[in-house]
Amino acid sequence: MWALIVGVFFAVGPATAYETDDGTMKRRQQGILTGMPFMANVVPRTFVDDLGRKLYLAKEPNRLVSLAPSITETLYAIGLGDRVVGVTEFCDYPPQARSKPKVGYSRPNLETIVALQPDLVLAPRDFIRHDVLAKLEQLKIPTFIVEAKTVEDIASRIQTIGRMLGEPETADRVAMELRRRLMELKARTESLPRPRVLYVLNSQPLITVGPGSFIDQLIGMAGGANIAAGAPSPYPRLSMEAVLAQDPQVIIFPVGTAEGISPAEQTLWRRWNTIAAVKTGSFHEIPSDLLNRPGPRIILGLEKLAEIIHPEQFAPSNFQPGR
Amino acid sequence: MAHGTTINTAATANRASGFDIERSIVTHRRWLTVMVCLLCASAVVVIGSLRFGAESISYTDVVDIFLLWLRNGPARMESAEPNFMILMYVRLPRIILAFMVGACLATVGVGLQALLRNPLADPYVLGISSGAALGAALAMLIGAGTTIMAMSSLPLFAFIGGLLSIGIVYRIAVSYGHLPVHTLLLAGVVLNAVFSALIMFITSIMDPNRSFGMMSWLMGTLLAPDYPALGALAVYVGVGTTVLATQSTALNILTLGEESARSLGVEVERLKKMIFVIAALLTGAVVSVSGLIGFVGMVIPHAVRLFVGPDHRLLLPASALVGGMFLVIADALARTLLAPSEIPVGVVTALAGGPIFLYLLTRRKGGLAS
Repeated sequence: MWALIVGVFFAVGPATAYETDDGTMKRRQQGILTGMPFMANVVPRTFVDDLGRKLYLAKEPNRLVSLAPSITETLYAIGLGDRVVGVTEFCDYPPQARSKPKVGYSRPNLETIVALQPDLVLAPRDFIRHDVLAKLEQLKIPTFIVEAKTVEDIASRIQTIGRMLGEPETADRVAMELRRRLMELKARTESLPRPRVLYVLNSQPLITVGPGSFIDQLIGMAGGANIAAGAPSPYPRLSMEAVLAQDPQVIIFPVGTAEGISPAEQTLWRRWNTIAAVKTGSFHEIPSDLLNRPGPRIILGLEKLAEIIHPEQFAPSNFQPGR
Repeated sequence: MAHGTTINTAATANRASGFDIERSIVTHRRWLTVMVCLLCASAVVVIGSLRFGAESISYTDVVDIFLLWLRNGPARMESAEPNFMILMYVRLPRIILAFMVGACLATVGVGLQALLRNPLADPYVLGISSGAALGAALAMLIGAGTTIMAMSSLPLFAFIGGLLSIGIVYRIAVSYGHLPVHTLLLAGVVLNAVFSALIMFITSIMDPNRSFGMMSWLMGTLLAPDYPALGALAVYVGVGTTVLATQSTALNILTLGEESARSLGVEVERLKKMIFVIAALLTGAVVSVSGLIGFVGMVIPHAVRLFVGPDHRLLLPASALVGGMFLVIADALARTLLAPSEIPVGVVTALAGGPIFLYLLTRRKGGLAS
């Protein structure tokens, strides 16, 4: 898209005057635009989402429907909470989001969405169903698909959404803060020994995170070694035998907002008393929302994870992204 | 049980199908031969499968660990080494569990097939399994914090679910004091659909993180139970199969048809009720520890009948042993094929059981009694 605009511009004429080599296409674009008085306050209006679909926005969207908790959190973090008119039933952060109208989740209620008259629907790639997407397109409701596979992706998506919705400065600030703390965390965990970690998604049957899953990445960044790294799938049913043989030093249980690790579940794990984590009682809970949602709070989850894996290195953090 | 006499019913049942009568007559000697062979085979399968799992432990290590265990007793050995823990507390209890579950499902299958004189009858078709699964799902939904193997509410709910479903099926199907087979099967199919829908409803209202755990549990999961839980299950299985075995002569007569059985002095309705309760009890117990494991209850009795004939005095215990062996082998595959991760054992039984059944069916057409 940038290439197209730049190309058009070259054709028009005075492009060479602004053809500076100060870095990326993005920079060059800004240079061009600021150089043309009549375009001074115009932001680029065509955006490409993570399905490669082009979305043209004639004006800045004011009525937003979010189809993922992570997207809702992103919108609030960059100060756009007021413009959100619809959220999923799982959007519980920040607390204000709970009072917004609910539209469902992977199978959202299309009638509710239409009734809310959104001028932009933001949906996660993993959970949006193709038929829903097709229907939204057919109904001429602009839809933007977001997918973040890494923490860096999360930062860049925050910036994209910020630019699209006219809050680039705040978004940049949130994203830069996220990147800064990520760098800091990586620097601190890099040289540390890597404790063996087991992340228990489900105890019976034991389901954990394997290579290719987002949480497996996070465990690595937080300075741990996932014992299921050799598993063949991202969310394997791991054999208890493998757990006993790999001997995890830290066992982490993702928990909901209210509950902790249930006593029954703890008893269940205490049986395996050859495991290092059981011997030292190293059972930890972590709010699953912090790790499952690829949004601005991911850094909180990551720092919490690092704190669990390297308790001696990390003090509790109190980072709050956004406002 | 009197094993010495030949049974006319078996011979009659087979004459129609052109089955080799001589071979299907159960004599004391034949009973002993078959059972000893199957017991030996079971022992071989169970011991053989000790070798297979996510972690490779060689047979010499297995023997060493057993010797160690025999010498020192089970008590103070836990912290010794992971291989000991893996073998004695993960693999062995799981193999025993697999054997019991397989034996249970096959026994229930034999009982129901005899009762309904229909080769399609099995705990799944009649909706007992899905009833038990619904009970289990409810227990999981209600007991938010408790885990599956807490062994308290779950087996109870599963049993109640199984009993409830068989009760409903029975009430729907019973007419004029009789129990027409086709109505019963149809009622089972309908109930199955309703219960599946309810299970889906429960998963849809659950927290997605947990519903996903429940779904994979329902796919058929053999866990590593602790020994008390295993003992409790053994009691259920022992009582259920023994009671069923005492009725094998009555079941033989029942295959002649209800009227004939009634005129020969079998209390048909009482027998039916008893078998239903046992089926619900065993299925409930099995579902509560292993989720839904399909195909064993239908395929194993068929396969065994092809080889040993339709006499229930032999068919029942033989099916139990073969069912046990089948599930032990299926679970060994489930443990090893994708190690260190596992395949739901229900997937393996269906994938393995289907083709075996088809093969047996085409090889010996008409060998199916009743």
